Amino acid sequence: MSDGGTAHPIKVTINGETHERTVLARTLLVHFIRDVLALKGTHIGCDTGNCGACTVIYDGRTIKSCMMLAAQADGAEIQTVEGLAENGELGPIQRAFHEHHGLQCGYCTPGLLMSATALLRDNPRPSEAEIRRGIRGNVCRCTGYVNVVKSIEAAAEEVSR
Amino acid sequence: MLLESVEYTRPATVEEALAALASNEGAAPLAGGQSLINVLKNRVASVALLVDITRLAELRNVDARSDGSLEIGACVTYDELDRSAEVRRGHAILADVAGRIEDQQIRNRGTIGGNCCLSDPTNNLPPLLIALGATMNIQGGAGVREVPADQFFHGYFSTAVEQGELLRSITLPALEPDAGAGYNSLTIAGDSKAIVRASAYLRGNGTIEEARVVLAVVGPRPIRHAGMEARLRGQPATAETVARASEAVGEDDDLSPPTDAHASADYRRRMAPVVARRAVSDAMAKGGDGDE
Amino acid sequence: MSGRPSAETTVEPAERVDRLGKWSGTSVPRKEDRRLLQGQGAFADDTWQRRMGYAHFVRSPVAHARIVSIDTSKAESLDGVFATLTGQEVREITEPFFQIAPEPGGNIEEYCLATDKVRYQGDAVALVLAESRDIARDAAELVDVEYEPLPAVVDTVAAADPDAPVLHEEVGTNVVWHGVYDYGDVDWALENADHVVRIDRLHFHRFSSTPLECSAAMVNWDPGTDVVEIYSNNQMPMFASLVIGPSLGVPSNRLQFRSQDIGGAFGIKIGSYPQLAGLALLSRKAGRPVKWTEYRTDHMLSAGHGNERVFLDVEIPVMSDGTILGFKVRAFDDAGAYLHYEPLGAVIWSQVTPGCYRFKHIRVDYTETVTNKCPTVPNRGYSRLQHLWLTERIVDLVAHELGFDAVELRKQNYVQPEDYPYETPNGCVYDSGNLPKALDMALEAIDYPAWRQRQQELGKGSGKRIGIGIGTTLDSGTNNFGQARIVNPGLPFSGNGEAAYVKLDLYGEVSVNLGTTPQGQSHETTAAQVVADILGVSPDDVHVTAGFDQRHNTYVAFSGTYASQFAVTGLGAAMGAAEDLRGEIVKVASFALEAAEEDIELEEGQAFVRGESERAIPFMGIANLVYSNVAAMPPELADSVSLNCRHTYRPPFEVPDPETKRGNLTLTYASQTHACVVEVDEESGEVKILDYAVADDCGRLINPTIVDGQVHGATAHGIGAALYEALEYDEDGQLMQSSFYEYHAVTSLDVPAIKTVHVETPSPFTPNGAKGMGEGGGAPLHAVCSAIQDALDDDSPIVAHTHNPWERVYWLLNPEPGMRRGVVVESR
Repeated sequence: MSDGGTAHPIKVTINGETHERTVLARTLLVHFIRDVLALKGTHIGCDTGNCGACTVIYDGRTIKSCMMLAAQADGAEIQTVEGLAENGELGPIQRAFHEHHGLQCGYCTPGLLMSATALLRDNPRPSEAEIRRGIRGNVCRCTGYVNVVKSIEAAAEEVSR
Repeated sequence: MLLESVEYTRPATVEEALAALASNEGAAPLAGGQSLINVLKNRVASVALLVDITRLAELRNVDARSDGSLEIGACVTYDELDRSAEVRRGHAILADVAGRIEDQQIRNRGTIGGNCCLSDPTNNLPPLLIALGATMNIQGGAGVREVPADQFFHGYFSTAVEQGELLRSITLPALEPDAGAGYNSLTIAGDSKAIVRASAYLRGNGTIEEARVVLAVVGPRPIRHAGMEARLRGQPATAETVARASEAVGEDDDLSPPTDAHASADYRRRMAPVVARRAVSDAMAKGGDGDE
Repeated sequence: MSGRPSAETTVEPAERVDRLGKWSGTSVPRKEDRRLLQGQGAFADDTWQRRMGYAHFVRSPVAHARIVSIDTSKAESLDGVFATLTGQEVREITEPFFQIAPEPGGNIEEYCLATDKVRYQGDAVALVLAESRDIARDAAELVDVEYEPLPAVVDTVAAADPDAPVLHEEVGTNVVWHGVYDYGDVDWALENADHVVRIDRLHFHRFSSTPLECSAAMVNWDPGTDVVEIYSNNQMPMFASLVIGPSLGVPSNRLQFRSQDIGGAFGIKIGSYPQLAGLALLSRKAGRPVKWTEYRTDHMLSAGHGNERVFLDVEIPVMSDGTILGFKVRAFDDAGAYLHYEPLGAVIWSQVTPGCYRFKHIRVDYTETVTNKCPTVPNRGYSRLQHLWLTERIVDLVAHELGFDAVELRKQNYVQPEDYPYETPNGCVYDSGNLPKALDMALEAIDYPAWRQRQQELGKGSGKRIGIGIGTTLDSGTNNFGQARIVNPGLPFSGNGEAAYVKLDLYGEVSVNLGTTPQGQSHETTAAQVVADILGVSPDDVHVTAGFDQRHNTYVAFSGTYASQFAVTGLGAAMGAAEDLRGEIVKVASFALEAAEEDIELEEGQAFVRGESERAIPFMGIANLVYSNVAAMPPELADSVSLNCRHTYRPPFEVPDPETKRGNLTLTYASQTHACVVEVDEESGEVKILDYAVADDCGRLINPTIVDGQVHGATAHGIGAALYEALEYDEDGQLMQSSFYEYHAVTSLDVPAIKTVHVETPSPFTPNGAKGMGEGGGAPLHAVCSAIQDALDDDSPIVAHTHNPWERVYWLLNPEPGMRRGVVVESR
């Protein structure tokens, strides 16, 4: 147990920037993102892959980064919340959350924004039911989801214009 | 939350994966990881070597055969099942059920093979695959062997796949024109943890010729309920038939549901006939020319 | 009976010049959003320090046991381990934590690590510090602890029994507090009432708001300065300081708390002070900064749970016209294994003794016990929601059993609009409200008559039934900490307060520091709104420091964010400081513009003479005079202004009377009225919410959208607890829901669309007419229970539990023959 195991070299592109590092097999992707790459926007909220605070976009699809080993992500293209702003300006989904009070403490927000981003890419005009299904994997304890849904509806209108 | 020390390898072919699995008694395949990584995080079980099979193209196929059967690679994700035109055409119910497993993030990674091989009795797909008459194709050093789905699931985390083998794919026979498949779950919340699940297959026009009724979370593995099936076969395809047949569930059978944080054994036993009836009704509504 | 305060309790209406108007009352978008939307928030686990180690707590797997031995040698010899700490060491170098309870409860000796015994599954026995998270975790597994298990007691009523296993030998009993609250004459009422409704047992269950961010801290006992730097997400840092300072032997001026962004707290993060104390000791021992991440499982086991309360033998005297005279009850509160903030809960419920109603005759025999479960903390709605649920079940069941209409019965018994300010039987003063109107509005929002019709049409036996329920509740805010004397007359606590600091900076920029620790309540935004109104600038021009930093010296003993008070105390402090600053600006402007002070106006960042806009001086000019051009002012003026204004808001309270248990315990009473429509599956008991509306009254709205957000969140928490969330222990004291796999935190598929409407009855007692809000008062629990009851048959058992998963509803629909209904009516 004192031997951490073999180190694996990985190459991961995050928000357009490629990083080459060595990781232990047991290191979770979310810890790699937060502790090794010091990107603190992706958060951890549970131990069992239920809360979605760690959601990132991985090769075009949302995943919970606490449910993947960093070693598995070799060669992947990942987008985190830090990659959403365009030239320092908030993107349309972020703006919609701001205008419609879609966040309070902000802890679930990065994961939610990634889920909303993926949802709207896939389905530019989602119904309320589709939005609720789309964010089912992101737990929020502050908003009761009411204004989150409103924010995504507004973002959909904005994005599909 | 943090894993014990573990080794990891990502083979480039199925043969290499099998060799890695055979090389170490503590080796296990890592597919989507949506169950296995949790198991490791919560230290419920130990694995010495994770053999990552998610990128093996040979395990990611969805092939509609000329005879109408469907072969689905073990590493096809729930989301891919939901979106696959072939799956929708051949067995829409599989696409529907897979598309409601937990949440989008889990569906993007979780695989049909993983859902089967972790054999958690609460999992969504095993009872459905048994009802659909699926065949599980297991590959080992000696080649591929076929195991019918209703003999595949042995118990908690235990299946017909032996050390050094891999579930390669799942074959679903064509759904006959006069057949329908149904599914019903009682869960604690939306798209969430199971209290009881049931899946059903009925074939026949007006009269039920063939019936499969599968219950899950009533014991360590999903089971076909012979008693209920017997009361369906040969009977008119009506709501009365289904209601009467569901009374067999809970009578004289060996249901041994668990008590856990989500429900008691007693409540599961009482709900089993309700969910079974609903699954069979669902099958009847989708199949042949059932007389309601 | 007149609602005017008696001679015993008076609250002076607040004096104020009302400058709020342009920005306050508007839904100004939030300042906090920019950083949070970009993932640039600074949460407690985001910190890093040179030479730091990662800490991991070793926790007891058993509920009650003697610690026979602890051996840390194997852990220490693991490569990469820096240090360990055990309870033995802690006992030698610290004092036990200060206890709020009087004797014998106050004899509890609690240290930051368990010493001789563990008393709940998750009780911390050791700490390990290592160079990585993984090594700390691995090393924790190598700490060898030998336990000698003892019998566990997990039920609060059983724990009160003298034969129960005793948790704290130095207390000698599990009853850590007992008192009888007796107002009016309930015996007379019971004897003379036309009906007495008797309810056997009501059970309020254990659950938690489970903030998405668990606790975390970076604690550094700096070897150079001997200052203990604590960067954490504790939400009541000054309370933590008051408790751990004496324990660690560190004076308040060498404990330095800081936090910026906190990922939700809901009262749970009041309880992290024991962990922080342990981390401080570990830091000093290792000579390194200590980083602690609490994982979700640790959080579920040990961070803190909401209070569980059992109500026995409820007796309710009712007149034939529907007037409910009051009630009598025996209450048992389960505090868990240690008293963290308890037994304040034993008095805090009495802020709402009669609930929303004009009950006059009330007796509550209140017992608080310890049990072998996680210690309780002030979870959202703390202690009041338990009691308010009781009052709502009372009204609902009286209506049900005696055949009154639930809406009319409530309206008849409510405190009426003309009664305010209304003095309750124990001397609390309800400041303002309009409960009948709120109820009408909530019912209108769901189109109540239409649902009644649907319910009738659907009937029973079709497979589904409809139930409609009402829940009315109060959110009492701004506590009088003198209430502590009612549980322990020896405690030197009273009143409340909050501090704020508003200044002009070198170029005239407006800056605000707060003493609060917001966790999503938008303090930066609302503080900027009120300061902007007072100084005549826009909220964009007001810089509010994000988070809390003790080094800014803007705190009092009650500082923090808890208990639904920011709109009153925090904004009161900000307003006071802004008014002081305004006065100084006007004074300097009067000199600079050669005009009388009363002729000076502030607008758009300038001071000018009313009616002569060219005679103006911008704030930059004011700042220049005071900071860099001082000799240009007359000496008396220069000596009397600094442009640095610190203000402590002090709510008008007196010390309550421990003898009579009377006094004004909270300054404001926000209210919420919830209307809920459910569909119940007759075969499974599954409950689905079809419609949901809330009428909220928190007095004057400073930012309506932010208030709505709080209403939505509190509603979601309440719905979660009502149908999905419970913390349950088996008879061996093992927690059945120790992760989010078992504990179902509600998702977007579970929480319905929530309609909100507002009633605004300003508080006469606060500087801005606002009332604190945010906790919500647990109304979904009341409303969902009421709705489920409405869906059942007339002779079904009563809904006697706050938590109603499908299995429980199934049994209500299918009671065993001979099963007691739980309610009995005696009529004369």
